[in-house]
Amino acid sequence: MRLLGRIGALLLLSLLCEAEQFAEDLTLRPLRDGKLAASFSFTTLLENATPRHPGSLEYDDDSQHYALFPLALGQVLREFAVTELHLTLNAGKWDYDRWGYPDEPGVGTGAELWAWMGDSAFISVDQRWKGLRNALAGLFCASLGSLDEQRTTSPILSFQPEGSLPNWTTPHQLRHATLPSEHVCTENLTPFLKLLPCKSRSGIATLLNPHKLFDADWHGMGVHVRYRQDIGVEVRLAFQAVIDPVRYSPERRREVSQILTCIYPDWSFLSIFDRVIERACPVADTSIIRVKLPTEASYAMTPTPTSIDADLATFLVDDAMKPLDIVMKWPGESAFSYPPRSMTRPLTHLSVRRALHGSNQYSAQLFISVKNNSPVQVRTGYLETMPWLLQFYLHTMHAHIDGVPRDDLVTLLSYTAPVPHARPTLLQAVLTLPPESTLQLTLDVSKPFLRYTEHPPDAQRGWDLPPAIFVPFSFENISQEDWDPRNTAWTLLERPTRIYTPVLLVDPATPDFSMPYNVIILSCTLIALIFGSVFNYLTRTFVVVHVGEDSH
Amino acid sequence: MDFSQVPVFSALVAARLCLALSPLPVDQVYKLANSPAVQEGVYLLQHGLDPYYEGAVRHSPLLLSLFSTVLPLTTLTAPLLWTACDAVSAWALVNIWRARLNVSHSSRDALVAASYLLNPYIVMPSLALSTSSYENALCLLALLFACRGQRSMSLLTFAFLVQLSLSTVHLVIPLMLLIVTGPVSRLASPQPLDTDKIKLLPPLAAEFILYSLFLTLAATISSGSCAWIEQSWMAPFLLPDLTPNTGLWWYYFTEMFDHFRPFFLMVFSVHLFIYVIPICLKFQHDILYGWYLLLGVFATFKSYPTLSDPGLFISMISVFPEVFPYLSYSVITGLLHLHASLLLPLFHSLWLTQGTGNANFFYASTLVFGMANGGVLLDSIRAGLRIAMGELKYDHDVVQE
Repeated sequence: MRLLGRIGALLLLSLLCEAEQFAEDLTLRPLRDGKLAASFSFTTLLENATPRHPGSLEYDDDSQHYALFPLALGQVLREFAVTELHLTLNAGKWDYDRWGYPDEPGVGTGAELWAWMGDSAFISVDQRWKGLRNALAGLFCASLGSLDEQRTTSPILSFQPEGSLPNWTTPHQLRHATLPSEHVCTENLTPFLKLLPCKSRSGIATLLNPHKLFDADWHGMGVHVRYRQDIGVEVRLAFQAVIDPVRYSPERRREVSQILTCIYPDWSFLSIFDRVIERACPVADTSIIRVKLPTEASYAMTPTPTSIDADLATFLVDDAMKPLDIVMKWPGESAFSYPPRSMTRPLTHLSVRRALHGSNQYSAQLFISVKNNSPVQVRTGYLETMPWLLQFYLHTMHAHIDGVPRDDLVTLLSYTAPVPHARPTLLQAVLTLPPESTLQLTLDVSKPFLRYTEHPPDAQRGWDLPPAIFVPFSFENISQEDWDPRNTAWTLLERPTRIYTPVLLVDPATPDFSMPYNVIILSCTLIALIFGSVFNYLTRTFVVVHVGEDSH
Repeated sequence: MDFSQVPVFSALVAARLCLALSPLPVDQVYKLANSPAVQEGVYLLQHGLDPYYEGAVRHSPLLLSLFSTVLPLTTLTAPLLWTACDAVSAWALVNIWRARLNVSHSSRDALVAASYLLNPYIVMPSLALSTSSYENALCLLALLFACRGQRSMSLLTFAFLVQLSLSTVHLVIPLMLLIVTGPVSRLASPQPLDTDKIKLLPPLAAEFILYSLFLTLAATISSGSCAWIEQSWMAPFLLPDLTPNTGLWWYYFTEMFDHFRPFFLMVFSVHLFIYVIPICLKFQHDILYGWYLLLGVFATFKSYPTLSDPGLFISMISVFPEVFPYLSYSVITGLLHLHASLLLPLFHSLWLTQGTGNANFFYASTLVFGMANGGVLLDSIRAGLRIAMGELKYDHDVVQE
């Protein structure tokens, strides 16, 4: 009877709880340079749930019961009343020109964390932000605790919420921080897999083999939490990798195409992930693998896709097809050769380069070259969130196109200078790029001198600086007056995609790390010497004495 | 002004101006309180940003307002402004010398002007457009007005100087004493200060506080908030910027353990002001000489010195020729200065530009520079006291009790 009662209570409880849905999918996209972009996405939706109201933080939270929703993450979200959260950990440089826009926009090197949180009089946003980054650091075994106030900014123009914000009386605030020197590795993937309902034992997650993924040319993982109005709270765990099948193929086989810019090497799940899908994840509502097909080449794909829609082949993962190993082959091919870069047009609207010029250790020049690849005028947001390791001289910011000064193309929206040891720079600007032209932006910067305790263990290596972010948002000819930076007209246009530049390395001057005691001793000796001598003269009076022979 | 000296003075200023307009490479070591920071502040101010909250400017709002409205900074006007500033300083120094002699002109006027305008420690920061040139000018003007007994002008000028650099505020005591006692040389015949004159000090102090409050208010209004007080005034005490300079603070606090930092910041700040009262007491008979010594103390020990500070100290010795015979190791201090002035740019470049030396090299040369300044200071104190003994007979000597 007691057992029956318990079962009955459990059933009742499961009815009371919000319904949960789990969907997994994998998109495979062959790239122009022979590489293969794999994008995993695991979405758990907690239906009809709402983010915790920060006003309720002073009371104990309602008890939470999840079946599929990751409990460890759910607790963190409730504890700090986070409405929207994005954490990405990436390694490598995303090559926009050859790979195009990524499926997941957050591809900045290193760690990036941003969150929208409702304001609260009880616990401030900054306190919760601190708690959040420490909780996530523990959850994902990453150094996210270093995303402190020296790296935290609020660049609301480039980081608009991806979901919706609840209509609370208190406003929402954004916190954003990057740590470009953070390296993603197996210890981050293990806790990531633990958040999945089937772990990596079944379903698409089987393919998440750390030995292969962390060997990829580019790899990155992301955790995205958003609130969807009237639908619920959605957690999306994403993993993205750019794999080089040519490297894994012993014969370096490739397909010979009529067009030189379109060549793809063979691949299969076994060759690129070293695993196949043995069984489907039983709790997944949908489990889909999509393969983007080349349009002009002849290929052989096994097994037969469930459906083919234009250039997209779709496989539904179910137990009927096990074990699933998708194989893509191009018959009649010889060794692969990379397409020459000069023959290929960039795949994105903008091509951005950023460099730090200058050889000395106290000043430098930040150089940014933005090329507009499209035939129309493009306006783009430009965001720098620079730690105080680089200090801008804004009055030296100049724009040139083909050597002609065009400072009128740069509109400064907001600027916050860094505070040494405390606050980073936040620079938000809008650049107007004429069609098919290259804008060159230069800015003098100074490198500060750090206390010896502030240097990292390998001080001579220098510091990684976070990527700059470009958000192309307008592709028409809109005059300067039409656009007021203060209202958020930015989002009214189609959702803009962020373009991250590669990270930079800055090498501030280093003191001698073995010197603390010597400096204290030497400086204090000099000061004491002068101090003592001065007061010797000031306190003792001069007298004339007779030193002749008759003085005795 | 005596017109016979005008050609010499003009020639010196013209030479200085040619130097300023010529494209000389001025080493970074001289660009300490440098003009890019001022230009950045002016730029932020003109673009409607708060230079003290949204920017990281350390200069006084009054200086920023001046450069953003009355005196625009361009590549042409800046050398003119800084040359004019040096010319005013030299003119003030010459007139301090005349006031000390209580004559309208003298044969050494040109020498005094040259000692300022040709002093490399003065010329270099000025060519690098350092704002310390303005501090020197205000300091010398305040002294000149005090020597002439123009108390309000003197206190107002000094209040401006305090706006630019708060750590000079303690020099208001010797300034007020100078106003009430006068600049005439009494080193050789010391007399205790007339106690009646002490009673004149409170009104002077009240007047100074009034000017300072007014200027602080003006600065707050012009910058729009109180953020400048921490950014500008507190910086010499909290040392947020550890850029290498010729002083003793930067490497000490680069290498300082974090938990001792506040304590030693306090010790170094207090140490700077310990000297003021004892020197004023000891040199109460000739307070202008006390001023000169305190400038030496500040040049050696202040937190963000530029070469202008020791430059002003060394140039000002030309006003006190009577102590020259009593300087006992001027050759040694001269050689120390030569040594330091060669080593400083060399090691700065080796460490930060060439990348072949390390920080200790430059630190060692700042220690030599500190010894050179300390040597001049000690020799000057000794000479200023020794002069009262006068010439000695051959079998007598001077000792300390």
